Amino acid sequence: MATQIVMDHTGDTRHHFDAKDLKALAEAERRFKALTGNGFTAATRQASGDVSIARSFDPNAEETVFYPRLVGG
Amino acid sequence: MAVWLTVPASWIGRAVLYLIHAVQTAQSRRRARFESRAVRGITLLREWLSPQQRQQLECFNHFEVIGCDSGKSYRIQHGVCQNVLELDGDGRPRMGWCFIPEGNLVPGDVMLAQKIALETDERGALAVAKQFLVPPLPHVVAAT
Repeated sequence: MATQIVMDHTGDTRHHFDAKDLKALAEAERRFKALTGNGFTAATRQASGDVSIARSFDPNAEETVFYPRLVGG
Repeated sequence: MAVWLTVPASWIGRAVLYLIHAVQTAQSRRRARFESRAVRGITLLREWLSPQQRQQLECFNHFEVIGCDSGKSYRIQHGVCQNVLELDGDGRPRMGWCFIPEGNLVPGDVMLAQKIALETDERGALAVAKQFLVPPLPHVVAAT
């Protein structure tokens, strides 16, 4: 089961989906595009613990976290 | 006349007590909601930290990351503002950087976004960040 984690003012919202389910996969891709289009950054974590930025939707990513646009504090 | 005055007074007293109770209950619920969000944020952060960073967070309430572009070390302290310190070669803070994700995020979420940004797009993060001075350590002042 893959997970998309979205940070927002309510805390983090987790969307679980089965990557083998084409409908769920399409919904996850739509969510990815909507969030990154709104300025969110998507990052994925490898099994080794390394983190990388996801520029496009990866159907094989186990866990993707989305955080809002960074601004100077 | 006296009866007419005591009845409304007791109603007012009850109403005031009811209002105080309602405000206290609302405050308590809001505090519980924030604490729940804060715990979830720290849990998510811990899941994404390397074992070494997780240990640093547990022991010192901060952890260190390496900037992907410069190779510099940064210390991310628990907090949501002015909590990123650039370290010198001896591991001492030399400059502060303030950058945060938009929105009212809890500390764990903010710290995770800062870690990911420095490890994957250091230049981009520092381009939006505001610098702040870090007070020198006492022994550094004495040496100068």
